[in-house]
Amino acid sequence: MAQCVLHKMTSEGSFSDEKLETVLHISDVYSYAPIKAALNFGFLVRRDYLDFLEKHNQSIIDIRNEELDEVYINQCDISHMNSFLYLPLRKNSSGELLVAAADPFDEKLITSLVIKFKCKIILLAASDLDITWLGHKLRGEFFVKEAVFSLMKTHPESSALITFTDAQLYFIFGSIGLTFALIILFFKPTFIVLNLLSSLFFLFSILFKLYLALTGSKSELHSVVSKSEIKGVNESTLPVYTILLPVYKEDKLIRKLIWNLRSLDYPKEKLDVKLLIEEDDDKTLNAVRNLDFPANFEVIVVPFHMPKTKPKACNYGLHFSRGEYLAIYDAEDVPDSDQLKKVVCQFRKLPEEFVVLQGALNYFNKNENLLTRMFTLEYSYWFDYMLSGLETLDVPIPLGGTSNHFKLATLLELGAWDPFNVTEDADLGLRVFDNGMKVGVVNSTTLEEANNEFFNWIRQRSRWIKGYMQTYLVHMRDPARLVRQVGWRGFFGFNFFIGGTSFTFLLYPILLLFFVIYMIFKFAFIRSIFPDWVLYISIFNFVAGNVLMIYVNMLAVFKRRYYELILFSILNPIYWLMHSRAAYMGLWQLITKPFYWEKTNHGLSKLSSTSAVVTPE
Amino acid sequence: MNRFIEKYINGFLALVLLVFYLLLSWIIHRAGYDHSENLFIAEKIKILFDTNENNLVTVGTTFPTVVFLSSLLFTPFGPLFATVLASISLTVLLYYSILKDFKETSKLPDFVYIPLVSLLFFMHPGLIYAAISGRGVAAILLFFYYLFRSLFRYYRTQTTFYLSMASIYLTGLVFCDFNFIWLLLAFFPFIVFVSLEGLKINKEQAPVAQYFESVNNSSQRRKLTNRAVAIYIIIFLLPGGALLLFGYLNDSHAGNPTYYLTSQYANWHVLGNIPLGDVISQKGTNATLQSQIVFQAYVLLLNPLLLLTFYYFKGKLYEFFTIVAPFILVAILIINTQFYFLIEYYLIFLILGIVGLTFYAGRQFTKKVTWFIFFIVGLLNVFMGIYYFKRTNDEEEKKFFSTLRHYKNWGRKKETDEDFKVARYINEIADVNNKVLVDDAAAFKIVAQLKSLEGIELPANKSFGTVVENPLVGVKYMCVAKLENKYKNFTVLNSYNLAMMQAKGQFITELVYQTENWAIYKLYPVEE
Repeated sequence: MAQCVLHKMTSEGSFSDEKLETVLHISDVYSYAPIKAALNFGFLVRRDYLDFLEKHNQSIIDIRNEELDEVYINQCDISHMNSFLYLPLRKNSSGELLVAAADPFDEKLITSLVIKFKCKIILLAASDLDITWLGHKLRGEFFVKEAVFSLMKTHPESSALITFTDAQLYFIFGSIGLTFALIILFFKPTFIVLNLLSSLFFLFSILFKLYLALTGSKSELHSVVSKSEIKGVNESTLPVYTILLPVYKEDKLIRKLIWNLRSLDYPKEKLDVKLLIEEDDDKTLNAVRNLDFPANFEVIVVPFHMPKTKPKACNYGLHFSRGEYLAIYDAEDVPDSDQLKKVVCQFRKLPEEFVVLQGALNYFNKNENLLTRMFTLEYSYWFDYMLSGLETLDVPIPLGGTSNHFKLATLLELGAWDPFNVTEDADLGLRVFDNGMKVGVVNSTTLEEANNEFFNWIRQRSRWIKGYMQTYLVHMRDPARLVRQVGWRGFFGFNFFIGGTSFTFLLYPILLLFFVIYMIFKFAFIRSIFPDWVLYISIFNFVAGNVLMIYVNMLAVFKRRYYELILFSILNPIYWLMHSRAAYMGLWQLITKPFYWEKTNHGLSKLSSTSAVVTPE
Repeated sequence: MNRFIEKYINGFLALVLLVFYLLLSWIIHRAGYDHSENLFIAEKIKILFDTNENNLVTVGTTFPTVVFLSSLLFTPFGPLFATVLASISLTVLLYYSILKDFKETSKLPDFVYIPLVSLLFFMHPGLIYAAISGRGVAAILLFFYYLFRSLFRYYRTQTTFYLSMASIYLTGLVFCDFNFIWLLLAFFPFIVFVSLEGLKINKEQAPVAQYFESVNNSSQRRKLTNRAVAIYIIIFLLPGGALLLFGYLNDSHAGNPTYYLTSQYANWHVLGNIPLGDVISQKGTNATLQSQIVFQAYVLLLNPLLLLTFYYFKGKLYEFFTIVAPFILVAILIINTQFYFLIEYYLIFLILGIVGLTFYAGRQFTKKVTWFIFFIVGLLNVFMGIYYFKRTNDEEEKKFFSTLRHYKNWGRKKETDEDFKVARYINEIADVNNKVLVDDAAAFKIVAQLKSLEGIELPANKSFGTVVENPLVGVKYMCVAKLENKYKNFTVLNSYNLAMMQAKGQFITELVYQTENWAIYKLYPVEE
């Protein structure tokens, strides 16, 4: 039997037989080098391992500063290098090939390299993270290009690379021109029609949301997967589950991340966790390097390529994923511990056409400040009611940023995420419907960190709203096709939910302005433009719309038993104004820099996630 | 076959009830029975469709809104029949919903609950009145039923859905009768008790002990308060917000935020409410029992079904307090309003009894015994309904019962009705060149029965104010409320004001037609 460093460690008593057996099993299943399995599945601390090597006269080389002969690297496949943690450097004067390897004692690796290069191999000890970093940087080009352009090549109609099509530009400028012409020619009637249309649209959007919320709240009555079913799951039948964790400069969250992953109730050896780090993100890489306890994830370094977005990183990570199912989480996420098992059970119960399940998102720092409270109100109603409502009505569901669980094979068939769309998740959810498949909702919560800083919130929200606009434009390139694909119900749902959300945010301050002028100036100006009945309808729509929005927010936090937040719903009109501010920023960016990813800073909360609550049943 | 009958029996019975009500309504309306609320709503519909002025005020301020809007749906059948059709439809819907709920919730066999519910809807004079009088009682009963049904369902499932549905139905109920906003106070006890449900206290102990534990622990007390406030807000935000909005719209378009409650042009209750002082002296009538505790006891006597519900609910504290809430409501109303309670305040307790039975009936006895008890109690309820009508102080309820009971008069023609006679006369004289000045604040019954409003000058017309100041400018005739007319103080066109106008020497009048309460004058200019 081929020996490796772990055998050596075992013989010296620094690694148990039991662990060795498990690690060898994992390395067989995943076709990994044993050292990779040990370092990535929580069996070995990196620093301890490097100390062990140095104790055995294996000096750790800094491969970033080593001389490289790319002839040898180019002969290697990135997947193989990534799995066995090696990197050919150069030949020495004796004709021996120097290869940097995480495990310089790996006999199996030496054998395979000898066969490959037909020369003598000398393994030099190097940090697995550096090998990974350099390997992906030098040999990841094909995959990263695939990650960026694959969707555009295979499904050009679904790519947001082109923001506005010609037809859309004709339509938009035509509409603007026509409106201006009508205002000049028929000032009063045009204003009346515009006001009526916008206020009716506003009210209808909100009534639709109320209807969705009520439909969604009805789904509280049904639980797809019960606790006893989860308890009864036979762990040996569980499939490998990939978790993608795209991060950028999240060095402060790495420790937290490991603890959160450890709390997942899923067999350790069946969790294929990928931490996706950007090539220029040394901060996060060093944070992983300096951990003083075992990490339970594999680092994948995403080579530099524009656009530098989360979907691009995820697409890249897909090439190395081994699971049957795949989930996306953010670094700070705290999923319910039974979430993965619940998803597996639910997938097994649902018809084949369900290919994605969205978990509910909520916040662990909900009581930190006003912003986090408002955010919690919003998310509670969005994930607990709206998505369930959409699912019940069979209307396209825009996926949330994290905690969505895919069937990996189908995800690849669909072309994965669009790297040019800044809300790639929402877009993907709609693409699922477009392809005759379905998105479901799983009654399990992932707690996140609510944005607690105003400008950070605005940036994040502007990206989301811009992404919704992008998604709307992409899917409305051919409305007739969309109707054929998702039906009239799906079409209207999409228009009012995706298109309507952005539009109502843009519209809101204008309607508010009219209302305030009406209040202050006692109709003096407004009445000269609008007849009484138009004002009557407008005021009704505006006030009723706001009251209903406050109401649906209250419903959701009531379900979650966040009673102390209920009164904060009254501030919803102000929160909407913040949305409007972000919406205009998003609109501006959609025109000027559509693919720009407004980075949201995480780790700002002073509260920890230990006070996490569980999903209400 | 059996399955087919089982599936469609409720629908079939609802259809039979619909036909039964239609037939009865045709008979009694043909015989001259028209309730003033029915005519009030019909008149508003007529104004809405026959005039082009101030339609927004008519639509936006007429109250009870639900009754008005539901009647609008049946306008193609004519304004007079629209309100009746609306109330019939709502009552049949209530009947169907009750049957459906019994089937789904109580799990009792059909033969147990169908006779009871059918007996009540086919025979109880109160429910028949609700259906065919054209009043808003049917809407009140329907929303009341749905409100309490949602609350009971909430207890069973603990889902926000039913709580929010309760809030929506409460909004509907308040827009059927504003007085139900006082449930805000009446719901307090049950909301506090329901709030205990969410607390982590020993649920095995008696609710009183749970309550004791929760108020004596600061953390639990805070949670109890938060939850109680939360439930309160969830239930009352929508009706509160809707009333606020409605008041705001009234203010902006009628100049008064409480216009829908206080104006005789907008709300039938302004005219239709009977001051308690006017009837309290009539011995041996319902009004004499309208005082604290006595009224509640009387209500129980009139609704033996509710007694049965109380029996079934023994030991269920939250549900018990929920059932008690309407008793608290009427206790508040007795203090707050000094008006005689019309039949809706009795019938809601009958509906309350039915809601309770749909949830817990049949748990104590065998099916046969349950059937027997149900039928006997149902029969008693019907008799108590008759008893109510015999003691009612409301003239229109008396008239309804009398019309229904004296089947020999069913062939009587409507022509004998006073308002109809006045309307017929106006139809003969009014046209575009010979307009008649009518104030529908008092004369709404007449306006409702006019063929056309083309030759009528009404307050809904923008020129009304000018015409009242100087009638000869716009009209040839004037319809005046005589001193005997009980609505004379609600209108500017009464005999007192006519005398004042004549004293100014504006015009000369000639009495061309009169009845006991109304007089129509022809106007002539004063010759110099």
